[in-house]
Amino acid sequence: MLGVAGIAVLAIVETVAALLAPGRAPTDADWRAAAAAVRAEFRVGDLIVAAPAWADPLLRLHLGDLIPIPVAARMDDARYGRVWEIGQRGAHVVGPGVDTTAAGTPPRIAVEARFGALTVRRIERPAAEVTFDFLERWTEATVTEVTSGRSGGAAPCPWLGDRFACPGGGPTVHRELVEVDTRIRRALLAPPPHAPGGRLIVAFPAVPLGRELVVAAGLHDVWARKLATGQARLEVFVGDVRVGDVEIGNRSGWRLLTFDTSRLAVTDPVVFPALAPALAGNASRPPATLPVRFEISSTRPELRHLAFAAEARR
Amino acid sequence: MAVLSSLPGPSGTTDQAPAHRSGRWLERRFARRPARLGAAARANVWGVLLALGVVAALLASEGSEGFGRDEAQYMRAGERYWGWFEELGRNLGDGRPGASFSAANIDHYWSDNAPDHPVVMKILYGLSWRAFHRCTCMGPARWLHPIPVRGRHRTLPLFLRESTAFRFPAILMSGLLAWLVFAFARRFVPTPAALAGAVLAIAQPHYFFHAPIACFDAPITTMAFAVGFAYWKSLSSPRWGWLTGLVFGVALGVKHNAWLMPIFLFGHHLWMRRGDLLRLRLPPVPLAFVSMALLGPAVFFLHWPWLWHHPIDRARTYVNRHLQHEHYNFEYLGRNWNLPPTDLDLKLLRVTFPVVSTALTVPVTTLALAAIGAAVLARRKRSRRHQGPGALEAQPGVAARAPGDWRRPGAGVDPALGAFLAVQTLGPLAVLSLPSTPIFGGVKHFMPAMPYLAVLAAIGLAALGAQALRGARQLRAGAGTLRALPVGLAVLVTLPGIAETRRSLPDGLSHYNLLAGGFAGGASLGMNRQFWAYCVLPMLGWVNARGPENQRMYWHDVLGDALSMYKREGRLAMSVGDTGFGEPGVEASAMGLIVYEKHWALYEKFVWEHYGTLRPTYVRTREGVPLVTAYERPR
Repeated sequence: MLGVAGIAVLAIVETVAALLAPGRAPTDADWRAAAAAVRAEFRVGDLIVAAPAWADPLLRLHLGDLIPIPVAARMDDARYGRVWEIGQRGAHVVGPGVDTTAAGTPPRIAVEARFGALTVRRIERPAAEVTFDFLERWTEATVTEVTSGRSGGAAPCPWLGDRFACPGGGPTVHRELVEVDTRIRRALLAPPPHAPGGRLIVAFPAVPLGRELVVAAGLHDVWARKLATGQARLEVFVGDVRVGDVEIGNRSGWRLLTFDTSRLAVTDPVVFPALAPALAGNASRPPATLPVRFEISSTRPELRHLAFAAEARR
Repeated sequence: MAVLSSLPGPSGTTDQAPAHRSGRWLERRFARRPARLGAAARANVWGVLLALGVVAALLASEGSEGFGRDEAQYMRAGERYWGWFEELGRNLGDGRPGASFSAANIDHYWSDNAPDHPVVMKILYGLSWRAFHRCTCMGPARWLHPIPVRGRHRTLPLFLRESTAFRFPAILMSGLLAWLVFAFARRFVPTPAALAGAVLAIAQPHYFFHAPIACFDAPITTMAFAVGFAYWKSLSSPRWGWLTGLVFGVALGVKHNAWLMPIFLFGHHLWMRRGDLLRLRLPPVPLAFVSMALLGPAVFFLHWPWLWHHPIDRARTYVNRHLQHEHYNFEYLGRNWNLPPTDLDLKLLRVTFPVVSTALTVPVTTLALAAIGAAVLARRKRSRRHQGPGALEAQPGVAARAPGDWRRPGAGVDPALGAFLAVQTLGPLAVLSLPSTPIFGGVKHFMPAMPYLAVLAAIGLAALGAQALRGARQLRAGAGTLRALPVGLAVLVTLPGIAETRRSLPDGLSHYNLLAGGFAGGASLGMNRQFWAYCVLPMLGWVNARGPENQRMYWHDVLGDALSMYKREGRLAMSVGDTGFGEPGVEASAMGLIVYEKHWALYEKFVWEHYGTLRPTYVRTREGVPLVTAYERPR
């Protein structure tokens, strides 16, 4: 009889759940009330997120005027010290236990209130201090296409008003909304050159470095990711020292890399002897201001729309 | 395992224990033929009632389901095929019927939706439309028809909407499926359990979503069951041996899944006749297979005029179309899949797709009953093995160790119901487990497994019913209780499927079961939410109210054929425009929508860029889960 009882209980539970579950979903009124609560205490620079993330369209419907496109398409969340989370069904994307960006002081829940099936929380945490936003200051870059071989050389890619364009139909570099890993990001679109052995160099002459240099990269365009399989290589240089590199392929998603520049910032010619000349005179005045450049290449560059963003953080 | 210990023992005539103690209801059913006409007639009445109930339920709900990319094309093709018949009628009247059969004329009509799919269902959709729609064909929608409208159609206007007339044959096929499942299950289980099995076959949210639409996935599910049923009957009937080939031919004309059916059946045949193999003698080639090999392709060729003038070339084109089918995008466990995986970890994950999808979409009670049914059949097999070799051949009315007869290939051996249900259930799932197989259709591509899963559930329910009866007898329950108990249990186990299916309407593609956590749980698990833009129908009123901006409307994944049908039915204003596909379509639009699928983020980016806002003005949701996001360009 255990089996009969078990099935009977299961059938009843499943039926009741099917009948009651629709009523447990957040209503429009819940969303309006939650949005009003956020508006009442919102400050410019706050981040608003939905949990689970699939509720984001509803979040934008009710609070989209408080979420600029650059914020929605942000590189990551680290620079936001106050984060509003409108959650449901117990889901969280920030806060204690799930927050991975805050170092040192753990995030704390400053506000928590329920509005029907929604929970509004304000998380407060130490925000990353950005010393240089490569995306905001992308026009300060110089772009060069380097090719190898007999006819090789370095060709500057001049500024054309809205983008850098390399000569001879070479790659262009510009800031754009991109789709990486089926999410919208704001990034520099900098595809690898098609010329054999070619490299695209995006160089920033004077970057005030801090504790870390955070670089995010991925491949733009779901159709390009379907049609091509090559990898794009992104190398990061500070001065003439390569601090890191990454291969970006179809499975990379929006790859976040963190390079420790704390020792660069206070200058350590023992660790980075090649930097010594560049660092001369900066030792006592961190953060050091150094050139940073990104080199993009690929052995199979077809449809490899590399997109990247970067921040130097104190 | 207290349940299983009291369930049926082995099949055979040499009962060594009283039937009521060993619970040999399954075995008796196995060998049983309706003894009285009355019983057969009653069964048919139940079958008819089931079919009518299913048809009524689908007719009552189909109007809430929009048109997807595929369905709108099949409606268009069906109407165009009707155009050929219409012209044939005129040519017959003019005494020159041959004109309809010229290569050019056949291609004019039958190239639509070729080589993609054969035409049995599309012909039926076209005929049904022509016969049953309520004609408003001379109004402003006259020019939206794929064939010229020469005058007002004289019809039997059964349905308010043209789309219902198109869909009616698919709905009838689902009614037929319920009848067939009941008729098959009734051979092995009592009537209440068989009825419940039939209901459980239909009351599955994803199946029910596909059941009424003018596509092929629900009809091929019916045909898969029909072919299997015919084959099962052919094990002891030469007449059904021949009929199996005919049924198979019709199935080939419904959808290409049918080409796989003989493989599954061959697997069962080998298992059933494994005694021959063990004795190193070839089992007979069943008449059903001969019939399928001869009649199947013949019916397939004859039913599809597009093949007639170039049979080899076009058959090759058809085969290649499906062997080389592109992989559309599909979300599974949070990933967007649009290529066969090459990395081992993704291959392994990909293999899990049909089983996990089944586990998260079929009502849990149905799954549990099917698991019990499978255990019952497995235990029955084990018990027979324990009785020794002689028990394997012992079947009522059949001489032991009778050699195989190609006209009655089930003679002399156990027909192996468990193996039959196993290959029919696991076969379609296994095909969709191959990493090289596209998964874009989701559950619909292995839906032919579901009626057999429901038969397993019926067997599980019957086992539980027998257990409940034994318990009731021990408690000295009255006769009324004993009669009501199986019925009550059958009703109880069908409630979850019915409730979940009712809940899922009209967004069955987005629905996930109790294990997943419903619509929201499925979204959180990263399961596919929908495809092909069926979901915009409830938004059409919102679109209609937004003139004149809606004259420059970006429709994203809603194809022109679907828009035409919405307009023909008056559900979409004739003035609503369509700026086309992709970024140019967004750029030219004043308002637009994005149907949520994981890979469509690229197109939402176009909207953000060209509209300069990320704030939608309307979000269509189900239980809080966004399905469609609509934007208006700020003025």
